[in-house]
Amino acid sequence: MEKTSGARLDRATLAAVVAAVLMPAALALIFFYVPNDADQGFSQRIFYFHVPIAMTTYTLFGWGALNAARYLWTGDMSLDLRSYVPMHLGVIFGTLTLVTGSIWAQVSWGTWWYWGSTELNTFLIIFLFYCAYFMLRFSVEPGERRARYSAVYALLGVGLIPISVLAVHLGQDVIHPITFTDHGANMDGSMLFTFCVALAAMLSLAVAMYLVELRGKRLDEQVSRLRRLAAGTTAP
Amino acid sequence: MSRRAFAALVRKDLLLELRGSEVVLAMAAFVLASFVLFRFGLGGGRPAGGTRAATGMLWVAIVFTAMLGLLRTFAQEREHGIWDGLLAAPVDRAVFWLARACSTCLFLLAVQVVALPAFWLFFLQDGPPPDYGVLVLAVVLADVGIAALGSLVAGLASAGRAREVLLPVLFLPFAIPLVLGAVSATTGTISPQTSGLHTLERLGYLALYDTVFLLFGWGLFEFVVED
Amino acid sequence: MPSPDEAVVCEGLVRRFGERAALQGVDLRVAAGAFLLVTGPNGAGKTTLLRVLATVIRPSEGRVAIAGHELPRAAHAARPLVGYVGHGPLTYPGLTALENLALYAALYGVPAERIGPALERVGLASRGRDVAAEFSRGMSQRLALARALLHAPALLLLDEPTAGLDSGGQEVLREVLAEPGRTVVVSTHEPDWFDGLATGQVRIEAGRVAA
Repeated sequence: MEKTSGARLDRATLAAVVAAVLMPAALALIFFYVPNDADQGFSQRIFYFHVPIAMTTYTLFGWGALNAARYLWTGDMSLDLRSYVPMHLGVIFGTLTLVTGSIWAQVSWGTWWYWGSTELNTFLIIFLFYCAYFMLRFSVEPGERRARYSAVYALLGVGLIPISVLAVHLGQDVIHPITFTDHGANMDGSMLFTFCVALAAMLSLAVAMYLVELRGKRLDEQVSRLRRLAAGTTAP
Repeated sequence: MSRRAFAALVRKDLLLELRGSEVVLAMAAFVLASFVLFRFGLGGGRPAGGTRAATGMLWVAIVFTAMLGLLRTFAQEREHGIWDGLLAAPVDRAVFWLARACSTCLFLLAVQVVALPAFWLFFLQDGPPPDYGVLVLAVVLADVGIAALGSLVAGLASAGRAREVLLPVLFLPFAIPLVLGAVSATTGTISPQTSGLHTLERLGYLALYDTVFLLFGWGLFEFVVED
Repeated sequence: MPSPDEAVVCEGLVRRFGERAALQGVDLRVAAGAFLLVTGPNGAGKTTLLRVLATVIRPSEGRVAIAGHELPRAAHAARPLVGYVGHGPLTYPGLTALENLALYAALYGVPAERIGPALERVGLASRGRDVAAEFSRGMSQRLALARALLHAPALLLLDEPTAGLDSGGQEVLREVLAEPGRTVVVSTHEPDWFDGLATGQVRIEAGRVAA
């Protein structure tokens, strides 16, 4: 049993509270505070959702991959869960990224998907990778081997990112607006502030979901373990 | 000792293939069948989208055929429980991976000896001949990448259920950039031929792809094969 | 500290497959030069135990040492010392007997000259160029034995070697096992067959050593 489960309980609740504060704040800022974009008008606000969600997805992915590497290094099974949960959340946030990206494409270029966009295409490849990760996870029996295989595949994904970026770049023109450089000069104080709040809100939401899901899955495992002990199929 | 072990393992794969395991035959049949289907599916005349579309199909067919080859070679060993004997030997696990990647690459090249002329016949006959030197280089580089990563991923896939479906799914995200790079490089060798720099960039990309996944394969295979 | 006089040491060896524990805490000590029989019902974990000792699979928990080398950390050092004959012959059916041995000679760093004598020892010298798929069960077992002995291991592990073995094969097995200077661990359903050879016996039940 974990001595720190009490502390973890507090962290999850704390994160949830922070997210519950930041999200409405961000929404308020996005819809009421920030001025309309000079070029694209009201509908440009989707940017304040799309980019923070995308950045959160990449962060989750990085966290999952980091824990995967730590798992392979130490063999500590708790790291398997701490690698899997961020990847799982990454699928959720990734789906949202694609959806908001699609809306933005519709708003900006009038199509529901733009094959000329480097970032959208790279993201699509990464998203497909997440889905494949899940297929792998579900096709192997739970246990040490599944943890190992998931970790190996998660790490392969780390190699995939720069490779994909380069490939898409070499294969296409870059037209997707690169927000910080493009808008760097145009993004005034209020826009930057809103963006940062939105990013913080998404990240705190991700953290809260991570801690909650982690806690839930740990409980699941403990229950399974107790069941197995009761059935006599595991050594205590 | 590792070099001797490596050579022996590659030799073993080649011997088994020559003795009639028919992996290469199956791969070649698959590729040629794909060409026929593509050709008929596109109707007469030049394919819409030109050489780029045709080259895209070539590389898709090659990737899928590599999957086929990998599954069959891994299946042989699993079937007879032979891995137990191999794992008990004092051989670095990465050597097993490298040998498998090497023989897969050789099988792919063997298939392409037939597939590339067939490809030209089916899709490019009415154009001028391609830049063979660059074409061969691009093909070899792409093969190394497919073989290196494929050998690692096939190990992951072969443990699970529905491995025939799982392997292409696991490989797909990595195949996309590879196909992009390979198509870009190969199209550049076919008329209209592109600039030297353009081609160099693409070949360089393929070499980078290979390097990255050779390193990953070398480092990670032991986690795949050791239980 | 394990003594180098102990060929095999297991302390609390646990091995899980998924959520099922095939070995649930095995304690075992085998002195160098001993001949140990491992008996027990099917599914008790005998094969799993041998596979762990052969370094084919790693322990999930507990301590295992082969001639003082801790597994899995020092597995690479332990491997040259172990010869393993599993359930199947662990040879490639598509290769000839000589080619199979040549492969394993390369894997174990054994000079090629030892391949011929290895085949002779098990009475397969005349069948060297025959493809292993054509071998009978008895001949496959003999080839497996030749493969396991190629690198002159100090520890020999055999998983049910007498099952379905013909008389010629049984003779060869007896001769090989009678050779001195080796530690042998055999899992078997026929302990009586090893009368005169075995120095000890242990019974595995439900993943543990039975009292």
